[in-house]
Amino acid sequence: MLVPRRKRHGIGRGRSRVQRKAVGGKKGAMLDLFAVKNQIDDMVADECRAQEDFREKLEMAVQAYRGWQADWQTLAEKIARSRTSWLMPGIVEGLDVTPTCPQRPEKISIAATDGSQIFPDRHEISSCFLINIGYILLHYGTGEKPLMSSKPTLYYREEEIFEEWDGRRVFVNRELVGTKRGLMEFSELAALSLAAQEAGHSVLACSDGTLIQWSLEGKPHDFKDYVLGETMRDFDALEKAGLPVCGYISHPGSQDVINALKLGLCPQDTADCDRCPWRPENQLGCSSEEKEALQAQLWNGRVPCSPLDGISDAVLMRQILKPGQRSPVFRSSSKILESYGRHWIHFFYVHVGQEIGRVEVPEWVAQDESMLELVHACICDQAEKGQGYPVALSEAHERAVVRSADRESFYRFLRDTYVKNDMRAHISTKSFKKRHVGI
Amino acid sequence: MSDESNAINASSGPERSHVGEVVESSTTELVAEARQLHGAPSFGQFVRVDSEVPIVGIVFNVFTHSIEPNRRPTAYGKTEDELRLEQPQIFELLRTEFQALVIGYLDEMGPVQILPPQPARIHSFVHVCSEDQIRAFTHTDDYMRCILNTVKVPTDELLIAALRQTMRAHGGDRAYLVRMGKELSRLLGDDYDRLSSIVRRADY
Repeated sequence: MLVPRRKRHGIGRGRSRVQRKAVGGKKGAMLDLFAVKNQIDDMVADECRAQEDFREKLEMAVQAYRGWQADWQTLAEKIARSRTSWLMPGIVEGLDVTPTCPQRPEKISIAATDGSQIFPDRHEISSCFLINIGYILLHYGTGEKPLMSSKPTLYYREEEIFEEWDGRRVFVNRELVGTKRGLMEFSELAALSLAAQEAGHSVLACSDGTLIQWSLEGKPHDFKDYVLGETMRDFDALEKAGLPVCGYISHPGSQDVINALKLGLCPQDTADCDRCPWRPENQLGCSSEEKEALQAQLWNGRVPCSPLDGISDAVLMRQILKPGQRSPVFRSSSKILESYGRHWIHFFYVHVGQEIGRVEVPEWVAQDESMLELVHACICDQAEKGQGYPVALSEAHERAVVRSADRESFYRFLRDTYVKNDMRAHISTKSFKKRHVGI
Repeated sequence: MSDESNAINASSGPERSHVGEVVESSTTELVAEARQLHGAPSFGQFVRVDSEVPIVGIVFNVFTHSIEPNRRPTAYGKTEDELRLEQPQIFELLRTEFQALVIGYLDEMGPVQILPPQPARIHSFVHVCSEDQIRAFTHTDDYMRCILNTVKVPTDELLIAALRQTMRAHGGDRAYLVRMGKELSRLLGDDYDRLSSIVRRADY
């Protein structure tokens, strides 16, 4: 039956459960795929329209980037003196630089770690949680046996499942477990790569994802200090050993470079987003002539920097870079990096063949040409070996991953051990009902 | 007890290191994981499983596969040496296993050519039998009956491989081959073509 478009929106969306019941919608305990299908059709139709705009925006972004390549210092100066509401990269290498992939050293060892977890679940028989760190050390050019393993750690003590930050005692939640896991991944990576270096190998340490602790912004001071202290200790050890480290982000959504280009589009010599004259709330004291002049500078009725909204750096770099090439190095301007000191994170994009990846490195790697070349060469080589994604990272993931079947086995094993030891194995009523639903 | 029986019972003496570890076991056959990739004993080789009652078997199938069910090996277009240098992880993701047909066991009195009272225990080590041990176990012809009575394995090929090995263990003794040939002729009844094919290929 054809349902008018306006009505289709109404089914399962924007109405309360009671309203839907009253309408007499499709019955069933499971996800109503019929209702979702209509919404998917609407979503795809909207995205098709957006794609046409997107092509136009992308073309503008590419032109803007190429336009600044010769005169990048002007843009860098404008970035330095402007105040924007977005993350603005520091341009440290010039925009006209697109180095091709250097030759990887014949003998090199790649260390990588990744983590996974079973989150604490207070509906289960125990509130314990588990962190599993997968670690990989692959030796290239020597034929040596690689190290591929994982290390699970169970946390169950009172002081482990309750943490006190900023004077508040909290039950360890998903976010805290995630942060703990991130710390463990990085410290294992540092320990593994340093041990490999001591054993005489030339090593590159690869971390999965960003090296910037974004999640710490706005967290309690003591928590922030603890996490940063641990991270900086590992960075210090790696720097002291002269052991390059990088973080690889697949399919990055960051817009740092696009933000710089947006600033370039701003007609003002020194931009200040808080006082953006094209926003109506900032035009209170303007005359009608001034308002008209400002109106003329709008793009499709929106502020002059808006043409590049919705474009990511990766999409732009796909047009700029050829396979194997990397972008210039940029300096991230995340606020949390003020605590990083010598390890201030820099980044570049690299065309690894299948995708544009973002590679983050600490300042001492970014400033050392040979280390930077090593990172560039190894990431391209790793991605080629892994059919598009660094093989050491994907193997580390395979070692670390705790699948839902593993989680079930873990709780079954836990339950059996409780029973064997004559301990009460109690799950919450909610958890029980989820498994045994009556009619 | 013959010297040969003594030889096979001398399991406490100096041993070669094991070639595999039992991962599946039944009364009639077992599956073992090879200690090294591509390091399984050959087809038709006699193996002995460390156990309370040591069990003797013949390898009838060797296979190498991915250790993870959802990951398949893919072609890289490189030699194994090149792969070991540039894709070292793949050799950690493959596993060689072998299946052995149980043909008897050993007790204090020597080789017993009937199925063992209990199957091999999981995680028991598997060793390749020494020539002395093979000689002791194949002193009589009962192992051939075991092989011929099995339906799941390529019987003739396994018998030929086993005979060739026992011949080596018996120092190429012509009289031994003749004795085994006569027994085989009895076991195969009127099937002269099959008999001559086996004897011809075993004597190659």
